[in-house]
Amino acid sequence: MREKHFGLGLFSLMVFVFLLGPLLIIFATSFEPGIVLQFPPHGFSLRWYEQIFKVEGFIRTFKTSIAISLLGNAFALLLGIPAAYALSRSSFRGKELLNGIFLSPILIPGIVLGFTLMKYLIVVYHLPMYTGLLIGHVVIMLPFIVRVVASSLSNFDFAVEEAALSLGAGRMKAFFKVVLPNIRSGIIAAMLIAFLESFNNIDISVYMTGPGVSTLPIEMLTYVENHFDPTIAAISVLLMVMTGVMMFLIERLMGLSHFTSR
Amino acid sequence: MALLTLDSVSVAYGSQTILKDLKLDVEKGQLLSLLGPSGCGKTTTLRLIAGFMEAQQGTFRFAGEDYTRRPVNKRNFGIVFQSYALFPHLSVFDNVAFGLRMRKLKDSDIKTRVGRILEVVSLGGFEKRFPKELSGGQRQRVAIARALVIEPDLLLFDEPLSNLDANLRSGMRVEIRRIQQELGITTLYVSHDQEECFSISDRVAVMNKGLIEQIDRPETIFKYPATEFVARFIGFHNFVNFAERAESDGVITLRAGDRLFAAVGNPGTNHPSALKGAIRPDDLVVTAGSEAGPARVGSLPGIVKVSTYLGRSYQYVVETALGPFTANQEMEKPFYSGQSVTLQFPPDKLVLVD
Amino acid sequence: MKKSVLYGLLLPGLLFLGIFMVVPIVLTIGSTFYRGGSLTLSGYAHFFEDSYFNQILLTTVGISLITTLLCVALGFPTAYYISRKKARSKGILLAIAIFPLLTSPIVRSFSWMIILGRKGLINDVIVGLGLAEKPLDILYTPTAIVIGLTHLFLPIMIISLVGVLENIDTDLVQAAQSLGASRLSAFARIVFPLALPGLVIGAVIVFVGSLTAYTTPALLGGKQRVISTFLYQNAMTLNDWFLASVIAVIMIAITFIVVGLMNRATHQFNPKG
Repeated sequence: MREKHFGLGLFSLMVFVFLLGPLLIIFATSFEPGIVLQFPPHGFSLRWYEQIFKVEGFIRTFKTSIAISLLGNAFALLLGIPAAYALSRSSFRGKELLNGIFLSPILIPGIVLGFTLMKYLIVVYHLPMYTGLLIGHVVIMLPFIVRVVASSLSNFDFAVEEAALSLGAGRMKAFFKVVLPNIRSGIIAAMLIAFLESFNNIDISVYMTGPGVSTLPIEMLTYVENHFDPTIAAISVLLMVMTGVMMFLIERLMGLSHFTSR
Repeated sequence: MALLTLDSVSVAYGSQTILKDLKLDVEKGQLLSLLGPSGCGKTTTLRLIAGFMEAQQGTFRFAGEDYTRRPVNKRNFGIVFQSYALFPHLSVFDNVAFGLRMRKLKDSDIKTRVGRILEVVSLGGFEKRFPKELSGGQRQRVAIARALVIEPDLLLFDEPLSNLDANLRSGMRVEIRRIQQELGITTLYVSHDQEECFSISDRVAVMNKGLIEQIDRPETIFKYPATEFVARFIGFHNFVNFAERAESDGVITLRAGDRLFAAVGNPGTNHPSALKGAIRPDDLVVTAGSEAGPARVGSLPGIVKVSTYLGRSYQYVVETALGPFTANQEMEKPFYSGQSVTLQFPPDKLVLVD
Repeated sequence: MKKSVLYGLLLPGLLFLGIFMVVPIVLTIGSTFYRGGSLTLSGYAHFFEDSYFNQILLTTVGISLITTLLCVALGFPTAYYISRKKARSKGILLAIAIFPLLTSPIVRSFSWMIILGRKGLINDVIVGLGLAEKPLDILYTPTAIVIGLTHLFLPIMIISLVGVLENIDTDLVQAAQSLGASRLSAFARIVFPLALPGLVIGAVIVFVGSLTAYTTPALLGGKQRVISTFLYQNAMTLNDWFLASVIAVIMIAITFIVVGLMNRATHQFNPKG
């Protein structure tokens, strides 16, 4: 059954080089000892990793980003898990429409969503910048939470919940004692995916920055526009490590099939 | 000369041998089944003949030509897959016409031939349907029509009935046999279901661990399995290890412990030294009470351990000096557990196997 | 489930999205038809009459089309290759394809700044080999945007195709071959049509994504405006919110039209579900 895929294999290899090569180049340039970013690097040094911690803006915005993503995640879970449960557990007229509404923030171009949020939340409703930022991030995380939790609920046998009800558990108790523990890994995977989506976000955050308020990606964006030194390469490497760890966790929890099936 | 010949074919995946030194001949117009449990190599044999895999050793000759390395699409064999493998995006007509289009036939010819073959499988009028709109049995017919319409030199069936429910299965069995005989196509049929193989085949090859254990007419295999494996596979649940044998006038006398048994030699097979006897539960006769007087040839006393009602008959597990035996017997009033009984081994039903 | 429970579970999320997403967008759309105290279409008329705006829109559509074609051309063979692999190596290759997807778009655009710049890797090679006397201007051109967007969206194309390709039973290809089809013909007549729904979805995600992407054109495009950077510029730098709103509505309209067409098209490809 040997298949002759040599040409195809070579082509795919080149595509993978195209996909990963640039990331590896960042990795290499982050160890540049000089002050000019270049590839290949002219030596090995960790000075730019040290430099990250000397730039006050990076530390501050990193904290902001983490806070927004974690807090937003919590809100999105509170709103998203009940919705995902209701959408998976029952059938009613207009269910498809509601499902569509919950997934629609993915469909609206981020740069448009950010603009409308800025225009109304900040300027018209006079909400504080941080609140606007948080709301914007909850909006973009919600569809990911709903989708991943719903797909994890679709693999859950609801007869188990009915068994709990028949044994005398109330609806709430049955949900918290039986349903939730069984979709726990799906929820954690949903949190991780939503976290990355929020943490990497630019389209929304770019409108919600002001004096003293910024997120790490926006800070990086501004930095790249003004400096071209290896600091950004070093931060990028740290971010890629974080991404890698989270992806590994997602794979363990749900498998990567979530990404290929729809 | 045989139409199809496999000569000393071997296949292995890494250290795992799938087929070893396999030899197989199929005559023109015959339907031969490969029967065996999963993992016995029957599907591998079929895929090898189909051209989906290559033999690492040995040759495959067809109609006098070497087919060992001929590509699938140059073989002109019709294959009916277990999954049917109907093209989901094509209508029944386009599914059946696929092979004809590959052969660049004229549209008008394609139309006639597809129409004719759909009549043969009783699916006239279904041309515009899609596979998803058909029942299991109808899909099966489309799959058969698609394989037949190219007028294949050989027809291959890979467990074609395993996805159908029991009622449809026996109907399709008759149907496949009818079409095969009507068109006189040489056919290879793979299944793990002995009833299926026996009912439609001219010859059956029973396979085990990459080897053919026995290849014969269904009736012969059913009555006279050649090996212990074949006997077990087709329902001989009782085995006796004999200590010695003697033969005179076509009757073989056998001894196990202090008891004597008789067997009539198996015609057509040659087991000059076989010392293992096999008998079906249906063929053992159970009588009440333990015998008095000298031991008779072919009888064995025992005690009923388990009694189960099977509907038409009762099944007993009888513990004897030679171990437990299973016997089925039709009777009005059953024996009870713990009752002493005697088992009778009819000489024409006791079979010697290797 | 009782109706009241159902509403109780769905309502918080719906209210949240209603207040913070639907209302702002509806108001934004409404605001584009209302100017100087009366209803008007002048915002759109002005936009489509202005040659500078049209050029930006056309460039964006052009960049998105080329990016989509590149993603299909690079993604289909790769996805086919991945889908034919055994479970273990398939998982590894898929992970490699997904990793860039989860990586920050800044990181990914930044890597192309290193590669495409005047002192970047590509120019080093080109000048080093004597193919050109002085470094080429690749960075801060539409070409750079296309490269960056292709890098950004290729993983989505690959995984969306792997999703459909791995569900195509290998028996189907073998059946086609046993009926006389060559490898190529089996691919063209069986695999390709069956993969078409995934291809269409992947292509639409890439196209719409490229059309509305902000970070990559902002970093790699230099002075070359695309519609999303143009929206941002009007909203934040020029403070022309009326024009920004018009652009926003045009982007929403394009997105919904393309996605709507996709839904109709995928229904057609699956005539019987």
